Amino acid sequence: MNYVPGTASLIDDIDKKHLVLLRDGRTLIGFLRSIDQFANLVFHQTVERIHVGKKFGDIPRGIFIVRGENVVLLGEIDVDKPCDTVLQQVSIEEILEEQRLQQQAKQETEKVKMQVLKDRGLSIPKADNLDEY
Amino acid sequence: MGRGQMFEDPAVMRMVAGQPSLKSLDSAIVDCGNAMSWNAYEDHWMMHSYRKTRRVSGSILQDSAVVCVIDGHRSRGQHLPSTFLDLPYAVSSFRGRRGEPRGPYCRRQFGQRGPSQMHAPMMPGSPLFSRQPLPPRPRYNQTGGFMFPTNHRCPSTPKMMQLRFGANSPRPSPFYSPSSNPVQHFRYPDPVTQLHPQHKRLLVQKRHIFQRKSESRDPYCNLMTAKEKEWITRLQMIQLQSENPYLEDYYYQEYYRRMEAKLAEEELGTRSKREPPKLTTPYITKTDSYTPVVHIEGSLGQVAVSTCYSPRRAISAVHAVQAQSPLEEQKDTRQQRLEVLSKVEKLFIVLLEVEETERTKTTVLSEAEERRLMEKTQRKVEHIYSQMQHHDPLNSGGEFLPFLLISKGKKLLARLLPFLKHESAQTVLHIVTRNLPTLMNRDTEEALPVLYPALRNVIGGLTFSQLIGVLKDLTSSESQTAYECLTLACQNKFGLSLLYALLSQGEKLLSSGVPLEPSIGDFEAWTDTIFQVAGQLSQCSLVEPLLLPSNLLTLFCRYLDKRTVHQLKSNMESATGFLALPS
Repeated sequence: MNYVPGTASLIDDIDKKHLVLLRDGRTLIGFLRSIDQFANLVFHQTVERIHVGKKFGDIPRGIFIVRGENVVLLGEIDVDKPCDTVLQQVSIEEILEEQRLQQQAKQETEKVKMQVLKDRGLSIPKADNLDEY
Repeated sequence: MGRGQMFEDPAVMRMVAGQPSLKSLDSAIVDCGNAMSWNAYEDHWMMHSYRKTRRVSGSILQDSAVVCVIDGHRSRGQHLPSTFLDLPYAVSSFRGRRGEPRGPYCRRQFGQRGPSQMHAPMMPGSPLFSRQPLPPRPRYNQTGGFMFPTNHRCPSTPKMMQLRFGANSPRPSPFYSPSSNPVQHFRYPDPVTQLHPQHKRLLVQKRHIFQRKSESRDPYCNLMTAKEKEWITRLQMIQLQSENPYLEDYYYQEYYRRMEAKLAEEELGTRSKREPPKLTTPYITKTDSYTPVVHIEGSLGQVAVSTCYSPRRAISAVHAVQAQSPLEEQKDTRQQRLEVLSKVEKLFIVLLEVEETERTKTTVLSEAEERRLMEKTQRKVEHIYSQMQHHDPLNSGGEFLPFLLISKGKKLLARLLPFLKHESAQTVLHIVTRNLPTLMNRDTEEALPVLYPALRNVIGGLTFSQLIGVLKDLTSSESQTAYECLTLACQNKFGLSLLYALLSQGEKLLSSGVPLEPSIGDFEAWTDTIFQVAGQLSQCSLVEPLLLPSNLLTLFCRYLDKRTVHQLKSNMESATGFLALPS
């Protein structure tokens, strides 16, 4: 029950299982226990889920406090709905390894791309070099 | 303590029991007045007894990690309060999350302490508590997370006294998190926002449904108390407060208005008595005003001050005109333009009010009220009109002209025209037609077409003589011949459309059969104009008009031969790009 219909409020989402995507790309799943006016969130029994390709791995994280400004999106997870997914759960070590490989591959392609552009006299500024505005 | 036994959480590596602060035991308490002074002796004593219950090895004093022990007290609530820190005042009303009173435990401890030794030397390794003698001020959270308003006992600089932030910030209590601490003297604001009645009904309905839902068996549920939820909701409501809800919260108002209208329609059949379509109760106006502008002595202008209501306040542009003497003849054109622009802004606000009143005339008002409202609106309209007419009595720029030369001024006039009386509107039309060459020339942004619809309506109300008068204005200019005027008009979208509209009106009047009551020479002028225009239209290339009236050809057929008409038709058609005219 939304106390203030016509507005968005997280109060209805309290004590429910949620998935939140953070600005740094992490995905957390946990029970939303508490909020405040800035949409800072307190998650309980949080699990960080890493996805690489069709595999995923869950790292238990305990209690998480997320600062509101770092949230990209947040959605409730329906625990009753049957989970028919093609994704395959693997162990933490495996998924971390997969992630590392993925990052490595990405860096390689990035490096090659930069080199190619440099040869042609072009340069595309990387996001981390730009000042955030 | 095994891995995760405390919280059943494998990610928790180690748990150390620190000195339980008041804050850790009740997260709702945001600041604990005088609670920060410690006695070293007490600490040891507490640690000792605490150790017994917690079975933690190693010296806690060396470890600054403090773990929140809320979960512990859930199951072992009885042991914990014995290590509770003491407070110099009676705290019988402290409430834990579960509502357990902790007062009696405190008092017991108090008795055991003996002579009070409030100021203790610094205890190493524990960052949480200050050791210096504190003035009776609330201490901020040392981990530094919260936003705390300072207590009103805090000193503030004289300059700050004028401003509304910090100590003197307007005090909606949302800045305090809900706390049951009796020392903090603040009051919750009542929910001052009034909801739409339909909204209230929905809320009540939903509440009933919700209360029937069963409680989940989640042991950690309701960590957030109803009070805290209410606090956040109240905060959101306060943010929604506005003085003009129809303007600022349009979608909400419109949504509920439509819902109510739909319901009323449905109920029309079932109920004999219909609910009066009352408008929503307005939000309470915020009366707490403050001066947002601070003038510091010796500064050259205004200072941008951030307050809680406007964190990033833009400095309003102050007219430098005030410094100059108003009798100066040579004024900067840019300055003039700025003046006109600022005037346009002010008049726009008045116009918006007028439009607002027109729009919200659906309410049922008494006769007297309605009359008063109409009078008020009319006065506003006249105010705008007179302001635009006599902008600068010294300058012979002409009435309305400075405003017409600015695109925003054109928009303002276009929106004002529907409200004007017929004579005033005709004056405007005359001004436009008289100055048409200038206007067309200086219309760099092509904003003239915005005037077209309104002027067309005015033209639609002209009598024949008046029409002739307007046409004469159009064709008689000081510097140009009629021919030149018309050429110019035909090459401008707005000019051509205006011309067409005038001719169309003439044709309408002629063919309507209503006695025209023309003045002497009217018909001559009329036919003259027709021939001139026809000549123009057939020769020069035309632009696409805003609207091509359908009775123009009929008009031309009256006076011209078939061949000319045919040529005209093809010329006009090629301009509009499609067959708009009946053959």
